[in-house]
Amino acid sequence: MSHSTVPRTDTEAEAKNNRPAARGGAGSAKQPPAAGQSLRLRLKRDRVLLLMTLPAVLLVLLFNYVPILGNIVAFQEYDPYISDNGVVSILNSPWVGLENFQRILEDSAFWNAVRNTLVLFILQLVLYFPIPILLALLINSVVRPRVRAISQAILYLPHFFSWVLVIAVFQQIFGGAGILSQLLRAHGYDGLDIMTDPGTFKFLVTAESVWKDAGWGIIVFLAALASVSPDLYEAAAMDGAGRWRRMWHVTLPALRPVIALLLVLRVGDALTVGFEQILLQRDAVGPGAAEVLDTFVWWNGVRNQDFGYAAAAGLVKGVISLGLVLAANKVAHLMGEQGVYKK
Amino acid sequence: MTPNAAPASSGPSRRSFLASSAVATAAVAGGMPLLAACGGSDGGSRDGTTSGKDAEKILPAYVASNVVTPDIPSRNGSAVGFTGKLDLADLKTSVPKKLGKGNKVTVMSPFWGSPPKDGNAYYKAMNDLIGVDVVWQNQDGNTYDQKLGAVLASSEVPDVVVVPGWNMTGRIPSAVIGKFADLGPYLSGDAVKDYPNLAAIPTDAWQRSIFGGKLRGLPMPSSYVSGIVPLYRQDVFEKEGYEVPRSCDEFMALAKDATNARAKRWACLDMKWTAFNAFGVLSGNEKSLGWNEVDGKLIHRIETDEYLEALEWTRKLFAAGVVHPDAELGKSNAADPGPKFAAGEFLIYNQDISQWWSRTAEQATQNPEFKIWGMDFFGHDGGDPALWAQNPASIFAFVNKKASEAVIRDVLAVANVTAAPYGTKEYMATNYGVEGTHYTVKDGVPTKTDQGNIDVMNAYVMIASPAATIAHPDFPEVAKGQVEWQQRMGAFTRKPSFYGMQITEPARYTNLSNDFEQLEDDVVRGRKKIADMQQAVSDWKSKGGDELRDWYRKILDENGPAAG
Repeated sequence: MSHSTVPRTDTEAEAKNNRPAARGGAGSAKQPPAAGQSLRLRLKRDRVLLLMTLPAVLLVLLFNYVPILGNIVAFQEYDPYISDNGVVSILNSPWVGLENFQRILEDSAFWNAVRNTLVLFILQLVLYFPIPILLALLINSVVRPRVRAISQAILYLPHFFSWVLVIAVFQQIFGGAGILSQLLRAHGYDGLDIMTDPGTFKFLVTAESVWKDAGWGIIVFLAALASVSPDLYEAAAMDGAGRWRRMWHVTLPALRPVIALLLVLRVGDALTVGFEQILLQRDAVGPGAAEVLDTFVWWNGVRNQDFGYAAAAGLVKGVISLGLVLAANKVAHLMGEQGVYKK
Repeated sequence: MTPNAAPASSGPSRRSFLASSAVATAAVAGGMPLLAACGGSDGGSRDGTTSGKDAEKILPAYVASNVVTPDIPSRNGSAVGFTGKLDLADLKTSVPKKLGKGNKVTVMSPFWGSPPKDGNAYYKAMNDLIGVDVVWQNQDGNTYDQKLGAVLASSEVPDVVVVPGWNMTGRIPSAVIGKFADLGPYLSGDAVKDYPNLAAIPTDAWQRSIFGGKLRGLPMPSSYVSGIVPLYRQDVFEKEGYEVPRSCDEFMALAKDATNARAKRWACLDMKWTAFNAFGVLSGNEKSLGWNEVDGKLIHRIETDEYLEALEWTRKLFAAGVVHPDAELGKSNAADPGPKFAAGEFLIYNQDISQWWSRTAEQATQNPEFKIWGMDFFGHDGGDPALWAQNPASIFAFVNKKASEAVIRDVLAVANVTAAPYGTKEYMATNYGVEGTHYTVKDGVPTKTDQGNIDVMNAYVMIASPAATIAHPDFPEVAKGQVEWQQRMGAFTRKPSFYGMQITEPARYTNLSNDFEQLEDDVVRGRKKIADMQQAVSDWKSKGGDELRDWYRKILDENGPAAG
């Protein structure tokens, strides 16, 4: 995710965006229209850009917005099996009003899932989020291109392993009959079963995420670091700034907008904490420790076919997520950052 | 009870009733209006059971086929056993003319083990024999319940879907009734005589295939004796001088003795199912089997002390560290336990009786010392076990109701071949594959080749099977052991009140017991306490369990209890 995809609507950004178009030879762009110009003129001016975004917009509409309509089953005792056509099933399923939501509020399993989700989110925010930044700084400090390329490749690689594989590898190493346990037993100690310990499960999940994806996460930060002008470092060095001061006063401020953006996005995703990864390990520690909102929805909807109830839980999650992202964005604005969007 | 009508017409009454009744959690007003929805007078309801005259009208005629006389006849509910030599030249032909018309038939089925590649020699040979292009979509049998609901909710349901009774949780029964074809027009009464091997399937298995008042399933008949057997490494037992345990205490002592984690050896896997049998807990295989009438009152398995005692004993096994760590993973452990059993990492596990033979065949060439055998169930206190019958057919193949008549006929053509009795060419092809490729015969003993052990696994047998048969000419002593085990255990087996009936519970109760299996697994692994289970049971009662009891009581009053 790079910040170039961030939509900006203020005129200043428009003017900036327009410059390359002018170079490209689009005639009407020679004189950038001022703010407040008629919609028609603006459409005409941006038609190429608009045309190019069209496929993406259609995809988003089709796969993100149309399915939202399906949330209607949250207010039903939905039975997908009464017809082969989902729409017909919805039309024929009985309405139950807010009953599903009432059930959710009374369901201790749901609140357990909320608690697990939040704890996991906070753990990952504290233990996972800073790691890509540190790694990026580390990689950035490597001068020899060859060493740098190799270490980057090694860091990226685990991202391309599937979760099944990652968890199988962890199981082979840290499982009750894994390498570590057998090594301990061979030396007269008790075995250690990290994979099935509900108490430390959230740390395990975080560790797996770090191993798999922290390397991949450095890409955005590296890009941001690449855009820092070497002049600044030189100037700072001339002024007598040491290594740490240069990092504090040059590097980190350059990264700040990216960090803020990713943080806002991460908070918006707070309730989404690795569905596949956790589902694969759910039975190893039991739902008490492993159930998160996404697996709760899956278990009740797909496994138990209680679709209306699961949809209601999903909807609650969506609403909370929206609130979180708005709040985080507000905080970013207060800190003087762009955030995800700006009015 | 009146059979229900097509789903579309069931709309209004069911909808209005559901809208007025709060599901599980909300307080449900008295039992009366709810009971009215049960089978009886309400022609539009999908729930209940079908028996008596209504059933007679749709059941297929029974025409026995006696190709070969079994060496061991059925006794105490056991399968029939064949232990004789095999003479390929002597095999009968039960399907003289290919019935298949060459249609493509997609089949989704649970599969235990690693499925072979598409287009392997076995699938090809079977398709040629039948004259139908069967395309398999095999899914992991251990987590089948997690996929079934989603597949059935989609608009792309395969032509045939195999559903084991124990996967009929949640709304699956509703899906079975809503999504699958009525096979009555092709099979009821004398119509079945077009398919002689299907006509030879016992009537009690067909009785179980009536869902929502229509004959929808193609059954896999089975012995009513427990399908789960505690299997153990007899060769290791003999070498180490271990005795087969005859009580829970003996089992525990043996398990502690046999476990040596340092040498990577544990006594067993999760023994929950064995514990249920040792303590005489009603079967959890199917919802209706969990109920039984005791002194005029219907009791559910989870309400019994035995249930809690069985869980507590299993918990002690886990706590004692005698259970292989892989079993701690529960269903998260996707790996086939076979290789670790063969490697001696654990010595006892409970699984389907079919593994007694399949593990034997698998290991025969590469691991000649390996010997797997079935352990008798023991009463927890050392006395006779009190066992409960399972149903005489628990796995069904259903045909998509959107399938054309030609496809349905072709599915029946497949079933007619796979249901061929022992002693026929079709049985040999279904269970052993192609001679020369999948097995070789020497002195009347077929031996599976490596390719046979890969290709010829549980696929075609899932469509329909003959009356419960155990025949392993390659390992006659295993066949004998299996049948005799069933006969010994059959002597201790009783039938619960709703044995043999196919019962669909009303939609409002479908989610009531969804989470008990999970809770059991939590309790035995020490993550939840027995008190949590007791709490869940009392919640179950107040959220609808007691009403469900009344609902079952009505069925019992109308149909009478199962014989025996």
